[in-house]
Amino acid sequence: MTISVDFTQPLTNDYVKEETFFQSLPLLEIKNLSISSLGENKKEDIKLVKNINFTIKSGEMLGIVGESGSGKSLTACALVGLLPKSLKVTEGQIKLHGRELLNLSEKEMRRLRGNEIAYIFQNYQGSFTPFIKIGNQLIEALRSHRKISKLDAKKKVLIWLERVKLPANQVFTSYPYQLSGGQLQRAALAAALMFQPFLIVADEPTTALDVLTSENILDLLVELQKEYNCAVLLISHNLNHVLKRTDSIAVMYGGQIVERGLTNEIRKNPIHPYTKLLLQARPVLSRVVPEKLVVIPGEPGLVAEQGCAFALRCPKSFKKCSILPKMQSVGDSQWVACHAADLEADYTNASS
Amino acid sequence: MRFVYAFFIKTYLTVMKMKNWPPTALLGLILLITIVLITAIGPLLIPNDPYMANMAERLSSPSLTYPFGTDHMGRCIFSRIVIGSQATLGITVLVITTVILIGIPIGLVSGYIGGRVDSIVMRLADGLIALPEFILAIAIAGFLGPSLTNLMISVVLVKWISYTRVVRGIVLSEREKEYVLAARVGGCTTWRIITRHLLPQIISPVLVLATLDVGKIILIISSLSYLGLGAQPPAPEWGAMLSDGRPYFQTFPELMIYPGMAIFIVVLSCNLIGEGLRDKLGEKSI
Repeated sequence: MTISVDFTQPLTNDYVKEETFFQSLPLLEIKNLSISSLGENKKEDIKLVKNINFTIKSGEMLGIVGESGSGKSLTACALVGLLPKSLKVTEGQIKLHGRELLNLSEKEMRRLRGNEIAYIFQNYQGSFTPFIKIGNQLIEALRSHRKISKLDAKKKVLIWLERVKLPANQVFTSYPYQLSGGQLQRAALAAALMFQPFLIVADEPTTALDVLTSENILDLLVELQKEYNCAVLLISHNLNHVLKRTDSIAVMYGGQIVERGLTNEIRKNPIHPYTKLLLQARPVLSRVVPEKLVVIPGEPGLVAEQGCAFALRCPKSFKKCSILPKMQSVGDSQWVACHAADLEADYTNASS
Repeated sequence: MRFVYAFFIKTYLTVMKMKNWPPTALLGLILLITIVLITAIGPLLIPNDPYMANMAERLSSPSLTYPFGTDHMGRCIFSRIVIGSQATLGITVLVITTVILIGIPIGLVSGYIGGRVDSIVMRLADGLIALPEFILAIAIAGFLGPSLTNLMISVVLVKWISYTRVVRGIVLSEREKEYVLAARVGGCTTWRIITRHLLPQIISPVLVLATLDVGKIILIISSLSYLGLGAQPPAPEWGAMLSDGRPYFQTFPELMIYPGMAIFIVVLSCNLIGEGLRDKLGEKSI
């Protein structure tokens, strides 16, 4: 059973998104967001994500980097309203096109998920229900958001499977276990992009794949993102991927954003000691490899209770670090939360 | 309704796909099919009216007219057993269907939604499981009064809990898996996740549990009828027939042996099938 697909037809959005009106605003605006775990009696217990701010514009790719447990995935979960029951957003705002997401009802949130915000998982096996064929799952997803006939949905799914460079007809009739990891992640990409969402949250999309496949998939993601002008929030442990592809970066440590700004600026001129160490700890082929890469002192997850979260591990910490540093702008498009930033900036200016 | 339909199709396919049935399970299957056939065409097979008493021929030995002999009222035992199977098997099928239709939805909802609903259902379950199910069934049937309907109600009330527990356990472990999260992120409704993504997972364990339970339910029904809480005389029912034959046990044991054998064979065949299914479908926990 095959359906001939006319690939010459342009892929047009089947419903009009009111993009022109919102163009001046940032697509996604996160203001002062805090997430806490709830202890007994539903009282606030531990603050896991502390007062973070960032914005994403349409067509922008923002990379979030940081070690495990720094709150990257929690932020992403809060975006789609899927925090575990034991966690709660205690303050702040998440605005998509100026619309506050935290106040939406479960029903409105459900309409939004998949349709306006898509999510790509780290574990590619988890993206699809194991006992339903890929094609049927995609059709179902499509039909749950759009009123289209089964046949039209099938055509659209086949086109999208082709778009992510998969053998469409074969994948359409396969069960998830019959596909390889790379193929599944491509299919997941198709499932995410099918709705042409405003924002794609990619939570470590290639961590479970090998180096070449992950390169390919990220390239594909970038290509399709450019084509449809959607925003991407890329969460990754792989600094190279993030540096190579993103427009801007946010570095998180201990639930706080310690530095954010344009990727190029951060690569050239990292200011926060943590960012610096991260960049130095990364082997670069073009550079002469030193005998030993830089090691960030201390244990991962060692977060100071008060003041700067990185203070306990920071080689440059001084007295003032016991006070929480404020985010301050350095240069045109770079912000950093570090007391040493002023000194640093002077130093780099003088040296350059 | 579509998912109920899909559920039965899936069940059918699960059974049909099984190759290399173990010989014991095959024996059980053949026995059960034979018994179901006999039950279905029963009225054509019987040589005598199961209700007609003939005092002149009471307690007679097997003959051509009365293949298994007659009881203390001169009624044909063979005819009564064949017709009685309709009551016994019919009630069992009805009870097991009701139990599944009650137990599965409650288990799904309790496991997936959790919270207060889950605590209430599970405390109820703990309470019910603390009492032996047989004694509880006797108590409920006795409280409601002796009749077939009340017998069914009491068995359903005692039995639904084990299905709910099994289903809840599976849902609890499945709902944390990433594909359920993926379905939620994709914008699935709770109803859709439960019916499309979780329900198919519980088919094989419930199938195994149900076949193994058929034997137990037949025993409970027969026992309650034996105690006079189920089928009322003169209706033929295997348990009730056992009860009727009790006063003549020493002189005419046939009155109890034939219905007893009938119960034994049905329970045996159900258990053989159930165990075969359990081994084949890999449900070791039940």
